[in-house]
Amino acid sequence: MKPVACLLSLLFLSSPLLAADYTMGKGSTLGFTGTFQGEAFKGRFGDFQAKISYDPADLASASFDVTVHLASANTGDTDRDESLPGSDFFNITKFPTAHFVTTRFREEGGKVIAEGTLDLKGVSKPVNLEVTFAPREGGATLDVSARLNRLDFGIGSGDFADTSTIGAEVTVNAHLELESKT
Amino acid sequence: MAIKSTETQWGGMAKLLHWLMALAIIGNGIFGLIMVEMPRGMGKLNAFALHKSIGLTVLALLLLRISWRWFDRKPRDEPMPRWQSLAAHLTHGVLYLFMLALPLSGWIMNSLHGYPLQFFKLFNLPALAEKNEDLSELAETAHETLFWVLLLVVIAHAGAALVHHLFERDNTLLRMLPFARLRQRKSGDSP
Repeated sequence: MKPVACLLSLLFLSSPLLAADYTMGKGSTLGFTGTFQGEAFKGRFGDFQAKISYDPADLASASFDVTVHLASANTGDTDRDESLPGSDFFNITKFPTAHFVTTRFREEGGKVIAEGTLDLKGVSKPVNLEVTFAPREGGATLDVSARLNRLDFGIGSGDFADTSTIGAEVTVNAHLELESKT
Repeated sequence: MAIKSTETQWGGMAKLLHWLMALAIIGNGIFGLIMVEMPRGMGKLNAFALHKSIGLTVLALLLLRISWRWFDRKPRDEPMPRWQSLAAHLTHGVLYLFMLALPLSGWIMNSLHGYPLQFFKLFNLPALAEKNEDLSELAETAHETLFWVLLLVVIAHAGAALVHHLFERDNTLLRMLPFARLRQRKSGDSP
């Protein structure tokens, strides 16, 4: 019975006995950096949720599960922010959220890499995060960054696919203030 | 056609810069009025980028032109009443000011909007001011008004040249035209 086994393993993995579970606290941010006409611009997602289970000593049981409400994107430019929800970019009427979930963690050159799958605008593709984790009293701070190609997910389609005006590479970075679940 | 100006005739460089800039400024002005009416999209973004690149070219040509004018000799004024000659030189001064103010006001407006400034997708130029949406509206009005006023000054400038050509029958216009032959001066005027 495969589905049952799956469910059981999920329960097993998310058990607080195996890894430290955290909730996302105040001061957590999720941002991205793109380029337009040769200049970098920064954006923020004001609305996102993250379920984090992480113990540096037990990477095998770590997991990140992040849901982003794409309508909350803000880049500080009215024209751009009015374009982002449209079908050429996020197409939020059809795909209101993006979802990232880790598949495994590995160490590489002293750094922790979280491998996962990003589901964005109807496309699921592997995305790797570089993880920096620092425990503190009552919780931890977690910084992650990833580089992805916007065209892999059809962000900026049609005329907007022109990478000489809108750069293909987008850096995504998050800073999470984690609070221990008790 | 000599590159440098002579006592009676503008040189090739002065003529080239005069007509090239006239075409670029008036063309870019009309283009600017059209592009703002375009529907939002990549076409509009590219049109704005092109308008800015042409404007920066005008600014670069202006610097070249001022340097050249300083280095080059100037033809003597055609025989005309003193008030006409004063009005002509005043108009030229005003035109130079507009040639500087128009691209600069565009650059400042672009900076106030917080937009990047890229020269023909080759390199980026720095902002001249901090982002400020309220001031950007003002700069936008200034940028467009400057063009309309410039157009009036250009009409006065070109109109005066035509009056000299058609009614005074002197070389005011001919000596700036690329391939025109100068009229022979009336006896007593010629050197």
